[in-house]
Amino acid sequence: MRIALVGNQNSGKTTLFNLLTGTNQKIGNWPGVTIERKVGAIRGTDFEIVDLPGIYSLSPYSLEEEISTKFLFEENVDLILNIIDSTSIERSLYLTTQLLELKIPMIIALNMSDIADKRGIHIDLTTLENRLDTTIISISALKKTNVFNLIQYIKMGDYRKNYYQHVYDHDLEDYIEKIKNITTSKHPRFLAVKLIEDDPLFTDYQTEQTKKLVKEISSKYLRDMEQVIADERYRYIENIRDEAVTAKHDQMTWTDRIDNVLLHRVFAIPIFVIVMFSVYYLAAGPIGQFTVNFVGHYVRIFSDWTRALLIDFGASSWSVSLVVDGMIAGVGAILNFLPQLAILFLLISLLETTGYMSRIAFFLDRVFQKVGLSGKSLIPFIIGSGCSIPAIMSARTINDETEKRMTIMLTPFIPCSAKLPIITLFAGYFFGRNSGWVSASLYFFAIAVIFLSAVIMKKYWFKGKVSSFILELPDYKIPNFKFVVFDVFDKVKAFIQQAGSIILLASIGVWFLISFSWTLQYGIDAEYSILASLGKVLAWIFYPMLGTYSWGAAVSAIQGLVAKEQIVASMAIIAGYSDQTSQGLLIFGSTAFAFFTPASAYAFMVFNLFSAPCIGAIGAMHKELGTTKKMWQAVFFQTGMAWVLAVIVYQIGHLIEVIL
Amino acid sequence: MKLKAMKYRLGDQTKLSNLKKGQKAKVVFLNTENKALRRRLLDMGITEGVQIKVKKIAPLGDPIDIEVRGYELCLRKSDMSLIDVEVIS
Repeated sequence: MRIALVGNQNSGKTTLFNLLTGTNQKIGNWPGVTIERKVGAIRGTDFEIVDLPGIYSLSPYSLEEEISTKFLFEENVDLILNIIDSTSIERSLYLTTQLLELKIPMIIALNMSDIADKRGIHIDLTTLENRLDTTIISISALKKTNVFNLIQYIKMGDYRKNYYQHVYDHDLEDYIEKIKNITTSKHPRFLAVKLIEDDPLFTDYQTEQTKKLVKEISSKYLRDMEQVIADERYRYIENIRDEAVTAKHDQMTWTDRIDNVLLHRVFAIPIFVIVMFSVYYLAAGPIGQFTVNFVGHYVRIFSDWTRALLIDFGASSWSVSLVVDGMIAGVGAILNFLPQLAILFLLISLLETTGYMSRIAFFLDRVFQKVGLSGKSLIPFIIGSGCSIPAIMSARTINDETEKRMTIMLTPFIPCSAKLPIITLFAGYFFGRNSGWVSASLYFFAIAVIFLSAVIMKKYWFKGKVSSFILELPDYKIPNFKFVVFDVFDKVKAFIQQAGSIILLASIGVWFLISFSWTLQYGIDAEYSILASLGKVLAWIFYPMLGTYSWGAAVSAIQGLVAKEQIVASMAIIAGYSDQTSQGLLIFGSTAFAFFTPASAYAFMVFNLFSAPCIGAIGAMHKELGTTKKMWQAVFFQTGMAWVLAVIVYQIGHLIEVIL
Repeated sequence: MKLKAMKYRLGDQTKLSNLKKGQKAKVVFLNTENKALRRRLLDMGITEGVQIKVKKIAPLGDPIDIEVRGYELCLRKSDMSLIDVEVIS
């Protein structure tokens, strides 16, 4: 048996999915977190449940709605589980009326019934059940109320098979019947309505006869049929609402009270600045720095201990070097940053689940509108400070194609968590007590680069075109502790897996290339290694931003393509101080990197922050942009931008250094 | 001196974008040429005859948050100017 879980964005769909399947999925309190459809099995059964993206309608105008419509219309679905947010039942039923037309058995889960109660919204379940002729269960996914009953209903197959009543007026119903009779489909009523709407997804199903009938009915209404059908659906819903729902109106909710402060005309922006500043103070600033040094200390102890142990066992010098200088140096350099990343992931998760993220999109839309983006672009940008990959995918909720493409191309400019080690390392060593400000300045730099790029793109690339911004403002929610912890845990786990696989392999690779010459001699000076000769070929690219030819910096920067944190790992190995991993002093004290000055350090950071992202993120861009050509355009645009900016930074910085 | 923007009263017909915070109105007509935008507005419940209340205005004056069919929706002023309404209060 296959069940499709369908509901509006932000209706608690993913929470319910997790409860039903027992797995943990991505959850957030901004519309559109489910970006791909997920499949799981309902606990204790072999029923397959498919979590479709959150949608408001089965209209053809957004990718997510298109995916969902196609899935429901074409695939075999035995049961639809329609989750409805009780606090906005009227809008939710609009999707329900469309789903019912498929004539697939359906259960409605009335979610957030507890919140609706508190707000004085009373829903008469029996009346609603009778009117829709569907089984309805009132649940609270967050508090797990009644979810067990829901599973029982699904298991027993004990639900009403809806025999749909008339929704539209007589004329329209007549024509739906007529069209039903001359088409063949698993879902005749659904198809008939789609043909009358002249839905572009279903033009293949139009025949001469259906076209004639659609034309006839249109001439009766003298209005756009899409609009007639939407009006009729809502009229039908209003009737049901009047019978089944009683609500108190115009009362101040907690959300309104909080918004009076957080969306205040004067205070909103300062509060936002304080919030974002605290996020980076905690993650990238002194607190983050402290955790880095703390873990670094233990990695160093472990490294020394391993070296001593291996030598005791009589291991050969090259194998000791492989383990300590290659593996531990590379992976250890990354693990130092783990607590710092956990802090960042936790804070982003909190922003998402409380509902503040949607507010940010709302009140900053005006600013982004000016450069051809929308407030919704801000969501990928903020998630991008954690990781570009989910951030790029979350850009799917942007309806406008141009805005979406620009957002995808610009998201990697936001320093992701893997770039944090680079910032921490350079800023910590070269800017000492000002390191907090230098780290913060890079984020402002990133924002400036995004605006600048957007303006350039809008002017020369995607000309004209006005877009719109339509976003639901969800209620504030107190984050569920368990979900937030799971979310952070998942991301940290992914990071460790990355360190244990890709970074480990890359570190071994770098160790090999730096320990051996082209004639495979071990124990040579790094200057004569394979890596050095490769780096020397590329060093000229970096000359204008470093003021010197450095093969070490060149090969490290290139390795950023594997993963951005690999840059630090590579520098640690090249510096050759495996026993003191990623201690700025020892990396920059080594002959390979002693040339760095504050100006070239800042320039090198700028290059690595803004150049093409890691392979994973490039893959995500490829997928979301749709074509390889667009992907290359993005990669070259980003890298070109990074190079130019880094050179400018170095040249200006160098001038200042000379003058001082 | 700049004239203070006119406040619309009961029965006046105007654009949704002209309403002040707290005002209520009934949607009379959607002027949207853009099919995708119109469908999106309809899907979100902005059909002719529906009652709308202006709830929150973004600190920079745009977009605007309205209450419609029991939930809150943010729209840009430019899109709201395409919606004709009749003022209720």
